[in-house]
Amino acid sequence: MKVDFRPLPGVAGLTPRPVVDVRLEGIERAALGCLVDTGTLHNRFGAWVARMAGIDLDGIQPESLGVGGRSTIGRTTPVALRLGELSWEAPVTFCDPWPWDFQLLGQEGFLRWFTLEFQVAGRRLELSPAD
Amino acid sequence: MRELFVVVDGRRFPPKQVIAALTGLDRADFTSHQARTVLRRLGFTTSRTQVENSPPARAAHGATAEEVRVSDALRPFRGRFVALSGSEVLVADERPEPVFEWLESHDRLADTVFRVPLDPTVDLGGFPS
Repeated sequence: MKVDFRPLPGVAGLTPRPVVDVRLEGIERAALGCLVDTGTLHNRFGAWVARMAGIDLDGIQPESLGVGGRSTIGRTTPVALRLGELSWEAPVTFCDPWPWDFQLLGQEGFLRWFTLEFQVAGRRLELSPAD
Repeated sequence: MRELFVVVDGRRFPPKQVIAALTGLDRADFTSHQARTVLRRLGFTTSRTQVENSPPARAAHGATAEEVRVSDALRPFRGRFVALSGSEVLVADERPEPVFEWLESHDRLADTVFRVPLDPTVDLGGFPS
């Protein structure tokens, strides 16, 4: 699967980045623009995404996190994710507050499931299921 | 095809529109080039951008004309949740629930749903542009 880099949807700069459209079980009407962040260990999504997907975060132990130099509270639970025809289940930490217009895909929640080739000069990401 | 624009208060405008609004002159009385020259002398940033019917060539900053259009289309919706289809904002609201309710009730699919940052330069956090 080849994905062209593109700017994050609502931010300044317009610099193309490795952004992929991930679908979450429970949200059928739209995908979520996710930045592939090799420096992030786990998937981090806004807590509003969990609400829209009908994922109950009550009873999940909250943890204080630093994301992008900011403090937030996260609750982690396994979630079924899909990218094109590829699907996998991985923990997602749903964070509140979440000020960004994108979600984050990290090493354990995304990268380990795929073989990825970043063609930065060509602004393209090529990925396939991991062996 | 390329189109001239001038940046005023962070937004892009056709140079002739700006000069006509400022001076009251009829747009037919001067050219885009003249308007652009005047605005540049006044210190405004002017440039050219790709417009519709152009191939999706990437500008110096790497964005296509379509991506620039999306960015421009989102500017009025800062701080709100939007459902986007191409460069069209289908619906926007302060909360995500009404956005998904609208998609459901109108039987529409969006490319993506997200909250447009209030201040894009600040909200980039650890992701500098």
